[in-house]
Amino acid sequence: MRLKPLLHLGLIAGFLLAGIPLFAHHGTGVAYDTEKTVNLKGTVTEWIWANPHCGILFDVTDDKGNVEHWGAELGNPHALSMSGLSKDILKPGDKITITGHPAKSGAPRIELQEFTMADGRTLPERGHKGNGAKLTDEPGQ
Amino acid sequence: MPNQFMNLLATVAMALAFSAVTFAQTYGTKGYSPGAWKPEELPKELAKPKPYNPHDLSGVWSSPTRAGYFERHSLNDKWLDIKDKSIPDQMRSQTYPPPMTPWAKEKFEATKPSYGPRSVPPGLGNDAVSTCDPMGYPRDLYEANLRPFEIVQASDRLLIHMQYHDIWRTVWTDGRGLPKDPDPAWMGYSVGKWDGDTFVITSIGYDDRTWLDHFGNPHSDQMTLVERWRHPDADTLTLDMTITDPKAYTAPWVGETITFVRAKAAIFEELCVPSEEEHFNDKIRDAAVGTAKP
Repeated sequence: MRLKPLLHLGLIAGFLLAGIPLFAHHGTGVAYDTEKTVNLKGTVTEWIWANPHCGILFDVTDDKGNVEHWGAELGNPHALSMSGLSKDILKPGDKITITGHPAKSGAPRIELQEFTMADGRTLPERGHKGNGAKLTDEPGQ
Repeated sequence: MPNQFMNLLATVAMALAFSAVTFAQTYGTKGYSPGAWKPEELPKELAKPKPYNPHDLSGVWSSPTRAGYFERHSLNDKWLDIKDKSIPDQMRSQTYPPPMTPWAKEKFEATKPSYGPRSVPPGLGNDAVSTCDPMGYPRDLYEANLRPFEIVQASDRLLIHMQYHDIWRTVWTDGRGLPKDPDPAWMGYSVGKWDGDTFVITSIGYDDRTWLDHFGNPHSDQMTLVERWRHPDADTLTLDMTITDPKAYTAPWVGETITFVRAKAAIFEELCVPSEEEHFNDKIRDAAVGTAKP
């Protein structure tokens, strides 16, 4: 009996998933309504790659041409760099669709769940570095 | 058949080797963290196992639950299952300090922490974690639940390097005693010595602006913290803490034993940068609760 390579890969992937931290951080549950989710299409105005928190500022334009300035809260760059993000992943003008938990205050702010870029890539993508390479390529990480 | 069995073994070993959780359990005395370097870029001798020595605490350590399933935020609190979505965030944390003095109770009630049952959105609170202000010790240690810390032993001191905020804590082991009437310091003043196989750290002189934990439990500048660190096997550290602070608590506060395991993860640079956090707060976090600068 011989185990197929696919099974071997599945085993490795399973262990990898078990080893990746979640992104919960302080204050999130009280500032955002984690029971609700909003989906938005917008244009990036600023990508904040900063310690200890990252953020995306983006404009959402409605059917009548009104522009609302939104923002999304992300975790720290180290954790995000293990999930496919990097300091160069976004730039002003990029079109994104974005999903997150809305601020309880009603302010146009969300806690990010995920976003999809124009090329179809959806992030955060666990187990990947910012350049898209799988973390397994660099076991030192 | 033996070859097939060996193949399977090799596969499992490879899978284990790429898992942060299991690596923490199996990496053993090969506890060197390559960090940003690829293993082949490092001198080969770094991968050689070190013999286990109960008096050598050096290495990179982390919570055994670093995968994020649990967090720990105080001397004795519930272990929190953060994957259990049925538990509201505000109710995931409870802590059990001894009764506070009136002085401490007043101080406690003025705190607006970002964690626990009294948590408020960071933009409406006064938690140092939201502004990159020093969090002090032992609070800094609780960040080790999600991040590794490193112990370095020199001939005259032991250094504890915490990834979050890039904090270095000095514990003098050269035989000196505690300073008399020191000026308060964010990390206090610490001396350590071996009592059998237990490394005992005694610390005083803490700045009373810090909180003991993520819940806003206070302390005074009269606090004495005693830590008892043990290294029962190559992959494990345990820590018992007792806080004696008559100005703040009517009895000593004895913590539950905390266990750390040898981490595969490296220490990364994770500074809290005040100007970056201020920008983030202004644009995102404070704006979420309507307290951003105009």
